[in-house]
Amino acid sequence: MAGKLSIYRLIVLLPLLVGVVLVVYPLFWMVSSSFKSYDEIFGSVWNLPSEWLFSNYVTAWTKGIGNYFMNSVIVTVSTIAGVVIIASLCAYGLSRFRFRYSKTLFLFVLGGMMLDPQVCLVPLYKLLQNLNIHNTYFALILPYIAFRLSIAVLLIRSYFLGIPKEIEESATMDGCSVFRTYLSIFLPMSLPIIMTTIILTSYYAWNEFLFSIIFIDSDKYRTIPAGLMNFKDALSTDWGVLLAGLVISSMPLIILFIFMQKYFIQGMSDGSVKG
Amino acid sequence: MRTRRTIAPYLFVLPCVLMLAVFVYMPLIQNFFYSFQNISLLSGKSSFAGFDNYKTLFSDPVVGKALINNVKYAVISLIFQVGFGLVLAAILEEEFLRKVSAVFRTIFFIPVIISITVICLLFSFVYNPTDGLLNMFLQAVGLDSWAKPWLGSGTTAIYAVIAVSQWQSIGYCMMLFIVAIQKIPRDLYEAAKIDGAGKIKIFFSITLPQVKEMIFVNSLLTITGAFMVFNEPFILTKGGGPGTSSITIAVLMYQNGFVRDSMGYAATISLLIFAITAVLALIQTLSFRTGKGD
Amino acid sequence: MYRMGRKLGLLMLAGLLVVLTACSSNNSSTAANGNGNGESEGKTTTLKFFHRWPNEPRNSYFNYIKEEFEKQNPGVKIEMESVLNDNYKEKIKVLVSSGDIPDVFSSWSDSFAESLVSSGRVEDLSSMYDSDPDWAKTLVQNQLKSFTFDDKIYGVPFTMDGKVFFYNKKIFSKLGLEKPKTWDEFIALLDKLKAAGYDTPIIEGLQDSWAVGHYLGTMNQRMLSPEVLATDYAVGTGQFTDPGYLQVLKYWQKLSSYMGPNATSVNHEATRNMFIAGEVPIHYLQFAELGYLKDKPDLEFDYFNFPQFSEGKGNAEGLTGAPEGFMISKETANKELAEKFVKFIVSPENAAKFQQDVGSMTTVIGAATKENSPPGTLEAIDVIQNAAETTPWLDNAVDASVADAFMRGGQAIAADIETPENVLKEVQAAAAKLKAVKK
Repeated sequence: MAGKLSIYRLIVLLPLLVGVVLVVYPLFWMVSSSFKSYDEIFGSVWNLPSEWLFSNYVTAWTKGIGNYFMNSVIVTVSTIAGVVIIASLCAYGLSRFRFRYSKTLFLFVLGGMMLDPQVCLVPLYKLLQNLNIHNTYFALILPYIAFRLSIAVLLIRSYFLGIPKEIEESATMDGCSVFRTYLSIFLPMSLPIIMTTIILTSYYAWNEFLFSIIFIDSDKYRTIPAGLMNFKDALSTDWGVLLAGLVISSMPLIILFIFMQKYFIQGMSDGSVKG
Repeated sequence: MRTRRTIAPYLFVLPCVLMLAVFVYMPLIQNFFYSFQNISLLSGKSSFAGFDNYKTLFSDPVVGKALINNVKYAVISLIFQVGFGLVLAAILEEEFLRKVSAVFRTIFFIPVIISITVICLLFSFVYNPTDGLLNMFLQAVGLDSWAKPWLGSGTTAIYAVIAVSQWQSIGYCMMLFIVAIQKIPRDLYEAAKIDGAGKIKIFFSITLPQVKEMIFVNSLLTITGAFMVFNEPFILTKGGGPGTSSITIAVLMYQNGFVRDSMGYAATISLLIFAITAVLALIQTLSFRTGKGD
Repeated sequence: MYRMGRKLGLLMLAGLLVVLTACSSNNSSTAANGNGNGESEGKTTTLKFFHRWPNEPRNSYFNYIKEEFEKQNPGVKIEMESVLNDNYKEKIKVLVSSGDIPDVFSSWSDSFAESLVSSGRVEDLSSMYDSDPDWAKTLVQNQLKSFTFDDKIYGVPFTMDGKVFFYNKKIFSKLGLEKPKTWDEFIALLDKLKAAGYDTPIIEGLQDSWAVGHYLGTMNQRMLSPEVLATDYAVGTGQFTDPGYLQVLKYWQKLSSYMGPNATSVNHEATRNMFIAGEVPIHYLQFAELGYLKDKPDLEFDYFNFPQFSEGKGNAEGLTGAPEGFMISKETANKELAEKFVKFIVSPENAAKFQQDVGSMTTVIGAATKENSPPGTLEAIDVIQNAAETTPWLDNAVDASVADAFMRGGQAIAADIETPENVLKEVQAAAAKLKAVKK
């Protein structure tokens, strides 16, 4: 029995380990090569750097990644703020009131989920130009918010619905206004789902590519995904620095993931939304 | 629930509705108008085109090519992300791996979190014909004849691009399956074990039926994703090259709108994408409802 | 209390709306001021400058220009942006047509420049030349025509260029080879190199579709009569039915077969490095790339013009390559300053610095000397100045959709997945569509 089992384990483990190598090796190579000089990246592909060039990271940061990074932070944080505020307000309105068009409005909001951002690319582009916000942070922030609202409302609304009526009623008895109830009771009580929303939104806003290459022209406002493309062109063959830039760009979300794994997985499975 | 007539709820809902109306629904509707026009961004001129853009859409051989590539994307993604993702999840939920499965899970999930731009730039190193990791590895293990210009050959480019997506996304499906498997009542497995069922039998008779809803969701997500692929061919094969051999429908839309300066036709292509993805999304929404019902 | 809540809610919404609308109306000014760069507002004049050279060494050069100009002109701030090549092409077109046009920007010549000019938003610079003849004389005169439309000059050419086949002299002399004059000699030469062990006697980074365009543009010019070419290249009259086009694509198929299977999966930069390293004997390069060749001093090179086809109707001495230069927006609030800035870039001192730092030549007479230039530069300048005819790059010469059909098609032919016949059909379809749209 034991022998049979270990053969089974071997059969299972072997492909699993191959899979791990397939996933880990390219990432490992990216990190280790990011400390190498150009000659060493191609000269001794399989070795660790003979000399660890931390300077690659400094160069990457000062030659553009630092700027893109800050832009990404600005865009991501603003998008998160917008989504959380607007979606929770809407979810509150939809879950705590019964009013004439509530069903219709809910469907209207949900409908946004069926639309992929790229479908709206051409008209959005013209719209942003007409609004005169093309090539500014808002050219990314506003569409990002709009396209994350549906899923955020869906998640937050169902959470609000789970908050017992009694709590709300006692708050009203205590003289809390509607808005107060939202602000000081519903929002704090829904921290878990808000966290999930924050993570889903940051995942989207940090990595979004299509809008960021089209709606932004100038390096000053470019976020990381689009910036990396420019960075690559500008460096020509300085691969070590480019790889350092890639590593820097990936760090924030990896760190977020490590510390908030639970919410990440929760969010991904609740939302079932792929980037 | 308050039932008093008041404008309060409308005020709460208003910002959200406004944002969606302006940035999501209005552009969608504008696509219809644009699709009947010739629009040149370059000259800023536009003219009425009648059904010309639709005629082009149905006669453009590249549209067919792109859609075939999208279908290839979908089929391969179903096999790898949904199929292997499920197997992977089932293995990681095995009892004897309990102690280490968290490590494996994290490893397989990390590519999901990394930006696709980073991943594509990384894989352009992997695929480099002369100095790339892949060909160097093949040469190192004596498989020189397998080495190829992966992204530059019309026969391999699309598959090389698809492979990168699998590499990134398998962890995502795996994670969703793990969540689903963890919800399966343990006693089902206990009972099966007592009956003396083997691992494979347990997988097919318990795990598979119990997660069938998740299989469905994952499949739809994967297929929808496959019809919207843009970043991978855009970066890896510089917009679907060589020629148009790795082009996808989204890249085709981009090329027409922003390279060839025919925005009207690009809008028409977006409507095609919309039609495909809306049908898929509708299936998902409807089935979700019935799924919750029973 | 309930009403209080309503008010609060309203207030918050109002706040939100203000935020939203405020962004939409104010933001171009925030963009212009660039938020807190610590300068006293009101006193600074900002000049927006958009160019297409974010890569080194040109990037450093333009940074220097920006800093130096700001130093010499207190109170002036140059807001500089740059994106590379194909991206620049798209971005500048959009900026010009949308009216969000930078004060000073770089442009390719000929039909590319013409299409920008046709927007009516590009300043006619004729008066800049007329009012300062001493300055106007410092430029190589035959380069001005690339920016002249309807007898008005719309740009100041800065870089000068030509594309020729560079070859490795050591390899050629070792094998006793000579510069080919005709296409047949060229093919025979490639065969000899191949027989001598060079599996890829010539290479090009065909993943860059513009690189394909550079070949096809020259080959079209050599093959077809100038009249046919002019009709087909013009928007709205193009048909591309002359059998010469098919012949060009067939010749391209032949030529690209010498480039080996890897050509379509690498970029131009990578293949240029292969030439510099001596791995590949021949490479089609721009004179502007001379600067890269000096990095490897033991590389001995020379060049020859694109050989002529026996049935070719175009000028066999024609040179492909066009100047790039600067344009000024008609809508700029600081026309004088913009002109001053452009003159600053093309001043003899700065042109000499460009020659020295970047290693490629400018339109400024005398900027290149034996001391500050990579070997071959002075000869190259001669070649350009004396060219019987200059042809712009294909992607500057025809509409973007026709160029795209040529370039992607050429790439597909090189990858052996498309026939010349089908590619030509695609080109014809693109031209026909243009005709329908523009009429």
